[in-house]
Amino acid sequence: MTDTASESRDAPVLAPVLEISGLTKTFDDKVVLDGVSLTVARGQTVCLLGPSGSGKSTLLRCVNWLEKPDQGTVLLCGERIGMRPGGVVPMGNAELAKLRMRMGTVFQHFNLWPHLTVLQNIIEAPVHVQKRRREEVIAEAEALLENVGLADKRDAFPSRLSGGQKQRVGIARALAMKPELLLFDEPTSALDPELVGEVVAVMKSLSQAGSTMLVVTHEMGFARETADKVVLMDGGRVVEEGGPEEFFGNPRTERARQFLQRYVSA
Amino acid sequence: MTLNAFLSLLNGAGVTISVSLAGIALGVPFGLALALLRWQRVPLLAPLATVYVSLLRSTPAVTLCLLIFFALPVIGIEIDALSAAVATLALNTAAFNCEIWRSGLMNFSRDQIEAARTFGMSGPLTFRRIIFPQLWRTCLPSLVNEMTLLIKSSTAIAVIGVAEITRAAIRIGAQTYDPLPPMLVATGIYIVLVLVFVGLQRFTERVYGHAGGAA
Repeated sequence: MTDTASESRDAPVLAPVLEISGLTKTFDDKVVLDGVSLTVARGQTVCLLGPSGSGKSTLLRCVNWLEKPDQGTVLLCGERIGMRPGGVVPMGNAELAKLRMRMGTVFQHFNLWPHLTVLQNIIEAPVHVQKRRREEVIAEAEALLENVGLADKRDAFPSRLSGGQKQRVGIARALAMKPELLLFDEPTSALDPELVGEVVAVMKSLSQAGSTMLVVTHEMGFARETADKVVLMDGGRVVEEGGPEEFFGNPRTERARQFLQRYVSA
Repeated sequence: MTLNAFLSLLNGAGVTISVSLAGIALGVPFGLALALLRWQRVPLLAPLATVYVSLLRSTPAVTLCLLIFFALPVIGIEIDALSAAVATLALNTAAFNCEIWRSGLMNFSRDQIEAARTFGMSGPLTFRRIIFPQLWRTCLPSLVNEMTLLIKSSTAIAVIGVAEITRAAIRIGAQTYDPLPPMLVATGIYIVLVLVFVGLQRFTERVYGHAGGAA
């Protein structure tokens, strides 16, 4: 357990950055989310674990409102996402965009824009969506690239980068929005094993610097060392939730024990 | 072939070029608009665009040209031959351009569009900043191919008396009783025109073609 992590747990009670409650989602006849509730406090790193098909990515997509949940609410710093106050009228695109730009998303397959250079990828949304001054955004983007160790790739196109480099650009692009919440959707799952480390290192330093992060991952090492809270999902439900020491050292449920056994032996 | 005959062929070439360019300038954006309606499944307008494309694709340019020139005045719209010629080519090529743009849109990476949405980009902004800069590069070869077809089919407008290359060549042949030389010159002009278009396409691809590949 790092100092930062225990500090954030002892921090005075603030409105959580993300508050998900009672989320359900059904595709055709398949129940993908079955009443999921989850909170992420300011400065916390929450790792979302679970076998594939357990609903982790759908949950993340519901936070973004890329997927509309059937029931339940998602609050970003107390503001409801997707629905206007009252919960009857759905938000228009412009209202959704305003909330979305307060969250930064890092995708499994990077989703960089191939026709733009590394720098252009990073400044695109801050300049054209947030309408911030170009010079200021460029200076920040250069600092971010320095932080993720890619200052020399500033003018390269994504096709010239390795997977690990692309993902670090993806992280810098998300950070450039100065988001209140960072969402990671299996950020290392598409990487060659030897490239995972460089991305995990960047995520760890973000977590230690106090970013608020919700991370869907299969990286048990990252979850164990960095998470303030670990959440295990299975079959569209949260089956166990707790601190990493407790979760990895002494899981309460049989399902968590099975899950961990498979990962430890793998 | 006399100098005069040659000059009237050149004049015909000028007509072919300007009518074709006007047809392209109108037809390419119109095709894109149709493609966007269908791609976005805009209620009412998307099915209309679909019907438009099937109708126009199955109407020969000559027939369409006659229809525009002779049918529009019946419903009270006076149109001169040159405008009718431009309208024919634009309306015809738009149907084919629509299908080219649409296939480019359908193959466009969903992931990139999703990324734009999560970063708060609006639909129009995403189209302008993310989709279109890549879309035109992938569509360019097919669009240029359609442009070369348009140049060659532009001879259909001779049917309403517009003196384009082929009509000029036929007239010269009829006056001199020696149709071969003007036809050869006419063929040469078409070849040069098409080569210029293909050359422009290659040039554009070389200048703007960078990094358009996979991310």
